[in-house]
Amino acid sequence: MQAEISRLGFGQLSFELETLRLGSGAPLLFLHGIDGTEGARPLLELLARHFQVHAPSHPGFGASSRPHDINTTGDLAYVYLDWLDKVGLTDITLVGSSFGSWLACEILTRDASRFARAILSTPLGLLQTQNRQNVLTDIFSMPPDKWPDVFCVNKERFITPKPGMDEHNLRIARNREAAALYGWSPHMANPKLGNRLHRIRIPTLLVQGREDAIAPQDYGAAFANAIPGARREIVGQCGHLVHADDPQVLAEKIIAFAVQGGR
Amino acid sequence: MKVWQFSEQAYHPAWNVPGDLRITFPARHADPVLAGQLLNRYLDEYMLADELGYNIMINEHHASATCMSTACNITLGILARQTKRARLLALGVPISHRSDPVRVAEEIAMADCISGGRIEFGMVKAAGYEIFLSNQNPARLDQRFWEAHDLILAALANTQEVFSWAGEHFNYRHVSLWPTSQQRPHPPIWMTASTAASSAKIAALGYRCATFLCGATARRVFDAYRKSYRETHGSEAPRDRLGYLALVAVGPTHEDALRKAEHMKGYFTTAERVGRQFRNPPGFAPAAVNAQAMGMTQPPARTLLSDGRPLPDNPSIEDYIDAQLLFAGTPDDVVSQIEKFYRETGGFGNLLMMGQAGTLDHRDTVENLTMFAKEVQPRLAELETRLAQVA
Repeated sequence: MQAEISRLGFGQLSFELETLRLGSGAPLLFLHGIDGTEGARPLLELLARHFQVHAPSHPGFGASSRPHDINTTGDLAYVYLDWLDKVGLTDITLVGSSFGSWLACEILTRDASRFARAILSTPLGLLQTQNRQNVLTDIFSMPPDKWPDVFCVNKERFITPKPGMDEHNLRIARNREAAALYGWSPHMANPKLGNRLHRIRIPTLLVQGREDAIAPQDYGAAFANAIPGARREIVGQCGHLVHADDPQVLAEKIIAFAVQGGR
Repeated sequence: MKVWQFSEQAYHPAWNVPGDLRITFPARHADPVLAGQLLNRYLDEYMLADELGYNIMINEHHASATCMSTACNITLGILARQTKRARLLALGVPISHRSDPVRVAEEIAMADCISGGRIEFGMVKAAGYEIFLSNQNPARLDQRFWEAHDLILAALANTQEVFSWAGEHFNYRHVSLWPTSQQRPHPPIWMTASTAASSAKIAALGYRCATFLCGATARRVFDAYRKSYRETHGSEAPRDRLGYLALVAVGPTHEDALRKAEHMKGYFTTAERVGRQFRNPPGFAPAAVNAQAMGMTQPPARTLLSDGRPLPDNPSIEDYIDAQLLFAGTPDDVVSQIEKFYRETGGFGNLLMMGQAGTLDHRDTVENLTMFAKEVQPRLAELETRLAQVA
């Protein structure tokens, strides 16, 4: 799996975007979560049997650079809309996971014209509170070495640092920093997103792990209710990162949803 | 050598509660009446320091039983009014965490006027765990720090037309300090450094640079400062640009000083009582530094004993003295310990002295401050002159 790095310039912004491209077929754009594209490799390989998969690292993650005034998920949404205009993809199956699903919503609420359907695996981004406390588990108030336990049922599937693997570790450090940049406060949410989700009018499937320890099941249900006609499916034996816990089942759901034309 | 008395103003009665003392430590463990008595006692000791000829340093921390000075500039305002002679160093104000930098400039200017121009102003980035209290974005904190710095200095220095500010982090229609600071264009600026890279940057800006409780590492920090200062300003860095913070316990006998030091040791053991998840939020340190730490099985020790071994777990008083985090003993002992450190680090003009720390009580603190002022401080002035002649 070869990553390509291209220098991009949109308006006043100039940066380098790292993109994985694999497989052939109808276009699929995968938006990764806080574990970067490396956290989703098994899923991407399964999807590549059916799709031409495009998996960029969001500016600040992986090996993608970040100009300092890209610092919100809204900024990222415009970067991707500009990028899609440049590469000219249409009729795209959009797949997000976790933070990437939040980003997918930020894109779709602005301009969904290039997308045929969306599969949002355990989306974040919606602000839900109880007694003025955010219902999402605060990942930043726990040490990152506890993240495998809260993100996955099969915690060994979560990408972790390794002694002596400098490049791998630098990617993880950048992924963590970017996660904090975009999701520090309000924690992993855009308070305005709930006012905009009704604008997503393409067929949408939400997937959530039954054992999700980051977002409660009620949260996933509220998310699905806010998107007109969205379907919601629960996957057993999976935590927050369905793509890591059970890439096979998630790939099957994505493929089936695309084959059905997203109905 | 200027000596600055400093206390963290701890709420030590809660230290026997097991677990963390910062961030997540519930307020039910503090009795506000007792807190008021302690805060007044610490202020009394600062007043004594003023009478004894010390300068004064204050700081701030948040949500912690280790430091009750939660608003550095409130303490500064009190001392600006109540003290008579001491220079008053706020080291520091965590400007990247404060929501309104112009308000910070106003507080400094007002205190400078009340004190008759005795304020010294430290701008600090604060420890990583403070981010969980101010909730500023850790990945944007460094940039926010430098914009706040530029804005505060512009506000303090300005006596011309009122200006506006359209930055990335701050926006103001009208910036105008009434009154402005007496010291022009602004009070002396301090920053803190624990690495050579930071002290070099501080030197280039010409600010005073302090390093805290790091023993032999101070040499690297000071050398980088002197080198960068020479390169930027074309002259040798004046000694008063450098400061070192350490605990100091002095007594009529060695045994008495060590007894005092045992009380002060609580500062070291409680300062570390913060959940490890709070110490280094993602984005606070550069990604390359974090990645390097991930690649190591054992993080390198920051503090070393004189033989190069790391400071052990549960260090003894002798270990702290050996590592030069604590100067303790009779006046003779303390003078010779400071002289040795001064020689090893190439000299510095400010001793930031924790003359009260931990559970050291009022009586012992008075004795410590008084004995140091009468029997150590005059000999430090003499030492500096003597060593300057040798150099």
